[in-house]
Amino acid sequence: MVLLLTSVLLLTLDRSDSGLVGGVKDAFGVVFRPVESFANVISRPLSNVWRGVVDYSDMRKENLALKDLLVKQEGAAIAATASVREAQELLALNGLPTLAGIDSVTAQVVGQSPSNFTQTFELNRGKSSGIRVGMTVTNGAGLVGKITGVTLERSVVMLATDPQYAMSVKVGACTRPNTTTTAAPSSSTTLAPSGPSTGDTMAPGDGSTTPVLTVPPTTTSTTSTTTTTTVLQRATTTTIKGFTPFATTLPPVPGGGFASQITVPETGVLLPRETGAMEGQGIDRLPVIRFIQTSARLGELCAGVPVVTAGCSQSLAPADLVVGTVARVITRSGTSGPLLEVELAANLQSLNFVRVLLYQPATEIPQ
Amino acid sequence: MKRFFAIIESPYLRALLIGFIVLSFQTTLFNTLRPFSVVMQVMLLCSAASGVAAGSESGAIAGFMFGFMYDMVLTSPFGLSALVFGFAGYMAGGVNTFAYSPRWWFKMLSVGISSFAAVLIYPAASLVVGVDGLLQTRVIGVALTVGLFNAAFALPAFFMMRWALVKSKKQLLWAE
Repeated sequence: MVLLLTSVLLLTLDRSDSGLVGGVKDAFGVVFRPVESFANVISRPLSNVWRGVVDYSDMRKENLALKDLLVKQEGAAIAATASVREAQELLALNGLPTLAGIDSVTAQVVGQSPSNFTQTFELNRGKSSGIRVGMTVTNGAGLVGKITGVTLERSVVMLATDPQYAMSVKVGACTRPNTTTTAAPSSSTTLAPSGPSTGDTMAPGDGSTTPVLTVPPTTTSTTSTTTTTTVLQRATTTTIKGFTPFATTLPPVPGGGFASQITVPETGVLLPRETGAMEGQGIDRLPVIRFIQTSARLGELCAGVPVVTAGCSQSLAPADLVVGTVARVITRSGTSGPLLEVELAANLQSLNFVRVLLYQPATEIPQ
Repeated sequence: MKRFFAIIESPYLRALLIGFIVLSFQTTLFNTLRPFSVVMQVMLLCSAASGVAAGSESGAIAGFMFGFMYDMVLTSPFGLSALVFGFAGYMAGGVNTFAYSPRWWFKMLSVGISSFAAVLIYPAASLVVGVDGLLQTRVIGVALTVGLFNAAFALPAFFMMRWALVKSKKQLLWAE
């Protein structure tokens, strides 16, 4: 009975967020760490033998697959870097926050939770490096998780797949091959009465590709006593010869003879996006996005579209941080809206070095 | 001086030191060895073995200590492992008393069953304190694996915990 009451007392202290529990854990960590390091030295050969026996064949296959993937990514990375830089310059020009303006700390993963239920990692950087609870952790690929505990030289990261993890994210509608939907300004556009008709062609500025823009007869004319105006319908379908929207073929990589496919948004067209809440589902299960409402404005949701952080005023993560892609759309009846499973861009099984974004929303910064 | 030696000879101090060493291997070696993607719970093994070696009451106290130490390195609610491991120690001692003179296989069975139950109870207890999402069908597989592993290693753990918690006749004579 005494032990039961003591447990309840401890749980109450923990849930009340008093600093006592954190202080005790910190003190225990200081005493325990040397013992743990010693045990690590002793057990490392055994761990290596285990890994060698269990993981060798998988590692070999993975290594070959990664080499293949690396070759494919090289070309795409060059084009993507240029696009990102351009986007950052545009954001900076308009006085909008960008990820480039956020300081970060690189940290190494030094430990993993020994529990079968919580999904946490320990990093070798802590308060002394400016890390605070709630900060976002990423790696080269995308979102990894958030900081849930900090000591002077260590910090604990809760992975995005943990059931306790939640983050507001943005997801876009999927694209349709060969057709795009463009929204014309509603009534402010006044064009010549003759307007483009079927079969009319327009060549954009790039003369090397000479794509052909065909506008079907979707124009309506309204005539008044004083002026004649032609108002384009809100949606027009364009077919560009020799150009597949959202898929641009890069020039061959020197020496490789390889052409990679990257997604390039069509000029002047912004995909509609909807905000939802991403929640972890535990080990071996993909995180899901809830509270997405399907609407005509959003369009069709489908697998493969990118998911990025929403970065609202109280969000712990800045906007437009890559999270992953939609793996599956689960439609639900009623008003509950669809459920989207997210394939995270970051591989959480093999984390070594991560980047902690020293970003806190205004609401979290102490006055 | 005599009091100092009495403290040093205290069974729970021995158990504490054993727990400290076992915890260091739990967070390093056993964190790497993950058969079927399940982390082996040696702290839970020691808790259950304490119950088998020294009875329900001592098992509950030792289990509580081991769980408390385990809570120090986890991010789960503080005191939850202490509660569950204390229960495991108590249950293992209780199951072991069903047999008049338990044989080795019955000790293994006691440790295995109590470990299995503890792993099942943990997510349920966490749900009570407000941490949801842990109670999934995967828990059954985890509990089975941990239960089998702990049953397999019950005897070495039993001897270790008996050395820590049960004073031998020689020790009792020396203390007098």
